[in-house]
Amino acid sequence: MTLLSGTRVVVLADHLVDFGGSMLARLGADVTLTAAAPLTPARQKAWHKGMTRSDKPLEQLLGNADILLDDRRSGVRDGVDDLAGKHPRLIHVVVKGYPDQDRPVTDLTLMAQSGLMHVIGTPDKPPLRLPGEQAYALTGIQAATAALMGLRARRQTGKGQRITLSALQSAALANYREAVMYEHTGRIGTRRGNMLVRGKSGVRQIWSCADGYVTWSMIDNPGMMRAVVRVMQEHGAAGELAEIDWDAILVADTDQAVIDRWQSVVEAFFAQHSRDQLADWSLKHGWGLSPIIRLDEVPNTPQMKARAMFDADGVPGPLFAVHHMGAK
Amino acid sequence: MGALDGLKVADFSWVGAGPRSTKDLADNGATVVKVESSVRLDLGRRSPPFAGGDRRNPDASVFFAQTNTSKKSVTINLSDPRGVEVAKKLIAWADVVVENFGPGYMDRIGLDWETLQQVKPGVILASVSVAGRSGPLSGLRGYGNSAAAWSGHCDMTGWPETEPHMPPFAYGDVVAPMMLTVAILSALEHRDRTGEGVHVDVSQIEAMVHVIGDLFAELPTDKPANEDAEMTPHGVFPCKDDRWIAIACETDAQRMALAGVLGDGSVEHATANWDLVELEQRLIQAGVPAAAVLDGKGLSEHPDLNAAGHFVAVEHPVIGIANMPAPPYLLPDTPSDVGPSPCLGADNLFVFAEIGLTDAEVQDLTAKGVLV
Repeated sequence: MTLLSGTRVVVLADHLVDFGGSMLARLGADVTLTAAAPLTPARQKAWHKGMTRSDKPLEQLLGNADILLDDRRSGVRDGVDDLAGKHPRLIHVVVKGYPDQDRPVTDLTLMAQSGLMHVIGTPDKPPLRLPGEQAYALTGIQAATAALMGLRARRQTGKGQRITLSALQSAALANYREAVMYEHTGRIGTRRGNMLVRGKSGVRQIWSCADGYVTWSMIDNPGMMRAVVRVMQEHGAAGELAEIDWDAILVADTDQAVIDRWQSVVEAFFAQHSRDQLADWSLKHGWGLSPIIRLDEVPNTPQMKARAMFDADGVPGPLFAVHHMGAK
Repeated sequence: MGALDGLKVADFSWVGAGPRSTKDLADNGATVVKVESSVRLDLGRRSPPFAGGDRRNPDASVFFAQTNTSKKSVTINLSDPRGVEVAKKLIAWADVVVENFGPGYMDRIGLDWETLQQVKPGVILASVSVAGRSGPLSGLRGYGNSAAAWSGHCDMTGWPETEPHMPPFAYGDVVAPMMLTVAILSALEHRDRTGEGVHVDVSQIEAMVHVIGDLFAELPTDKPANEDAEMTPHGVFPCKDDRWIAIACETDAQRMALAGVLGDGSVEHATANWDLVELEQRLIQAGVPAAAVLDGKGLSEHPDLNAAGHFVAVEHPVIGIANMPAPPYLLPDTPSDVGPSPCLGADNLFVFAEIGLTDAEVQDLTAKGVLV
């Protein structure tokens, strides 16, 4: 991808900006990684992909740079502000854990403060994080965004600027639901396992099938429900679901015992069919069902292959697809 | 002046994945015109919570308000060819067209790529969908959990040796719009350098794949849950009153500092007798990475977030004063400015005049059900 061809970036990395630097590299920028905090080989492979390492002095690297991603998770490196200040066209993105505090942070502690962990997992166990290093990844995306905003601004003003960004805000921004629900309803979300609770009842999100798992929920979408039941009828498996007028009921207002009974009919049907079969029906009939693909299967799915999503190193490459490059 | 002052966006997107990106653009100064239908409402306008519990009022959804700050709204009936002609005038005005329609919809109504380039040479088309606009799954219709299922996220979420876990929020609707914003800004850089428009095509599945790139490099055989490859202790531990604290030690110095506060025994047993706030403060003072696990109330009232202006109190004509999320970055020379979301069709007169319709044409097309 060459969208950022000709853009020169220097990265001082300590987990918060690593993915952001790699994103700019994957977009075609010339990205130099210097003074990076150590990572495991796997994390290095993913988060440093596309960047070129250099031990040259920062003063030299900044000579022709457009962007400096300056990761201050563990504090400021000596002399960086003075050096950056010598380059009025430089977009200097300073990234800290907290906006106005120097407190130690890691991906886990940032996710804890996002409000997301409180609702992930099951009620009988501790709050759970999302897989991988989501707070770091989210901060990296915002670092790349801030840098690109700075480039746009520079086209207008002719000047660079010193942009500040916090990982706390980047992680909190991912939580679009919990704060607003509390502020406007007083309700506080809890961990409900794989149950999706809306209204007075809850519906399942994860189902066993003949060879794994699928995700699907009995939500208030009459067209979707009719499409599922139609296929179940063809297989003699719809039971009482065939008699329900889905336009006339609201699942969210239905008693839990009734929903559980309906779901047991679906459960028996799904258990008899494979992920591929259920996914094919979903794609054909608009069920809103998806097979749960195992991590090691993902790179070889036909969709990932068709869009050349993974590189030979087993790590995802292009951030998105670009069509019609060169259109005037 | 915002970073994106002067940028014009024709926004045909709805619900979450597109609008959260165009919110980024609008908050930073772009003029974003959201194309809506009063007949087929943006489902975001039907999403709770609602101000005063008024779910029938299309302008009362706080979900919608948070997702669409700083934009303008027009109503155009795109199922009427005359509506499509008005949409073309808007596209001729725009630098960027954003859409997250169902598969093939843009082509069916005559707004395919070639037409867009004829209408506005060099215009950028930005699409976001569950699986992308190419490949065997390009026709996939899905909900927020579809991307989690196809990307490996769901497989890797949960506790080891348990079934996959689906959290109660659509994470794909969070990371995909962030990727879309990056895609649009990159495409603008490319256009400004070359004069070329491009079609950037963001897939929710791929965005979710990218944010677990480290797991693809490692391919763990089971869910990592709260464990970490480099840190110990690393987990979430109980405090008094059913509250929880996250602790993650990277260095021996931090582990020694932790032992200085909790002693040398089991971390889990030691934390259980502590008040959460007191323990968090003690550990931070000792230099240990530790943080309270916050719920929605804690997030809303977070002193650091509020001091940093993460939530901006915005006055909306129907909702009143409500907190809206602001961009997490501060550009001091070109600051963001978070304004209210638009009421449905509130900007019809202004925008339609801007793109060249006369008052008489607007009245006529409105009466005929085209601009509704």
